[in-house]
This record gives sequence, C-alpha cells and structure tokens, in this order.
Amino acid sequence: MAGVSASHLIIFIASMMVAASVVGVFTDSVGQLSDAISEQGVDVSSDVRSDIEIISDSGSDAIYNADGNENITLHVKNTGTLQLPARADRLDIFVDGAYQTDAEVTLVGGAEVWGAGDVVRVDISEPLDPGDHRVKIVVNGDEEVFEFRT
Amino acid sequence: MGFSVSGSAAIVFAGMFIAFGMFHTATTNGFERVSEAQEDRTDRTLAQQNTAIDVTSATWNTTSRTLTVTVNNTGAEPLAVSDVDLLADNSYQSGYNTSVDGDRDTDLWLSQEQLTITVTEINDDPGRVKVVSGTGVADTATTTEVI
Repeated sequence: MAGVSASHLIIFIASMMVAASVVGVFTDSVGQLSDAISEQGVDVSSDVRSDIEIISDSGSDAIYNADGNENITLHVKNTGTLQLPARADRLDIFVDGAYQTDAEVTLVGGAEVWGAGDVVRVDISEPLDPGDHRVKIVVNGDEEVFEFRT
Repeated sequence: MGFSVSGSAAIVFAGMFIAFGMFHTATTNGFERVSEAQEDRTDRTLAQQNTAIDVTSATWNTTSRTLTVTVNNTGAEPLAVSDVDLLADNSYQSGYNTSVDGDRDTDLWLSQEQLTITVTEINDDPGRVKVVSGTGVADTATTTEVI
C-alpha cells in the first residue's frame, strides 16, 4: 500500500513538473510574440504618421547648380505629425535610380529639429547631364519623387 | 492518478490564461496605436483636400529692391502663417514680413483672406516664386518688375 502511494506521489510530482515546463515554454513564446506585435504596432504607427513633400520649385533653374559645384538642391517639408531625423544617413536618396551617399541635410528657417511643418535643405553632390532627371527621397517608408530638367 | 491529471490541467489552463492576457494586451495596444495614426492621416488628407492657395501677384521693386508676394487663401481650410514657406528661385526665404488683410500680428490665414509677404533680403529679381502652405499645397508665379 505504501509502495502504491509513493509511486502515485512520484507520478504526481513528475506530471506537475512536465505541465509547468510546457506552460513555461508556452508563455515565453507568447510573450516574445506579444513583444513583436507591440513593436510592429509602433513601427506601423510611425510609418503612417510620417509624411514629406518635396517643395522645391521644379521650374526653377536653380535646382541643379551646373556652373558651380554641380549639386542638386532640394527643399523637403515635413507634412506629417511625427518628428523626423534631419540626417543624411536616415534618408534614402536616389538620383535617376542610383542610390546616393554624398548628401547633406540642413535645417532651414531657424528650426532646431525637423518637426511638423519644418523644412530641410538637401544638397546632393551628383554631376548630371543636360536632360530630364528624377530624385526619389524615402524617409520612414514615405516616398516622394521630384522631377526636373537641367 | 486523478490528482496528477487534474493538477496538470489546472497548471496548463492557468498558463494559457496568462498567455492570452499578454497577447490580448499587446494586440489591443498595437491596434489602437495604428488606428490613431490612421485617423490622424485621414484628418491630414482632409485638410490637404480643403486647402487651396492662389498667388495673385509677385512683384519685384527695382527701386527699393523688395519682393512682394500676395497670396489668397481660396480653400476652406484655415492656415497658419508661420507654416507658410516661400521659395524665391528655389532659394528658401526666412525672416520676411507678413500681413493678413493688413494685420501684421496674426498667425491665422483664414479662408478668402489675402496674405502679403514682403522680402527685403534679396538683391536681385528672383524671376519666380513658390509659396507652400502648411499642408503642402503650393502655388508658383513669375515675378513682374515695378519701379
């Protein structure tokens, strides 16, 4: 009789340990999944709140400085509600489909950060041939295309 | 044997309850965050659709070397003067004087009101100007010279 009780006790403890292990693994997995969903919510939210407009005057001859240091000057306005990073390494810039790394971003109009309604000047060093050209700027998933003629 | 099954089931159910709580909190927070952002974007789009501006004149006074731009708010959206940007031949301008229907202190540029921008920091006739409202809606004009 005592042997049966002891074996029952051992089986009981073992089953508790197995159940606890299963629950531990399960809750840990669900916890990681919940964290991932939370982060995705933050990412999607910031993507939706980000919005930019390239406000440069496409009809102006001053977009491309052909006689000087051969750079493209664009003005980009933050028309969203999220503060954006005013740094060249956080903007993806393409000129005629080619990714640009030699670009400079400067805040204009006395703004200290690139908040809603503020404008940055983007200077891209890229020699261009006479003709039609297009620049694409991507920030936080928002893409804007600007077409001009040199 | 009965206690083992019941005890294990109780632990598993308790664990699933906790896991569901964690999952529910995360999905609800994420959904709310995205919904708020989408509502915000809908409001922005509506404001953009209701915005319309018209540059009625852009004059370059060769005597006083002053650029004067008058813009009408022809839309239904109230705009902010401080959010307006002026580009003179793709050169961003700041530090200019503004007045809305003669009022120099107001920041509100309401529907059917006229904004006058006076720039004194340019040396030569820029040839063309572009006025951009806070919502991104813009209008361009070429300058006319006056003496």
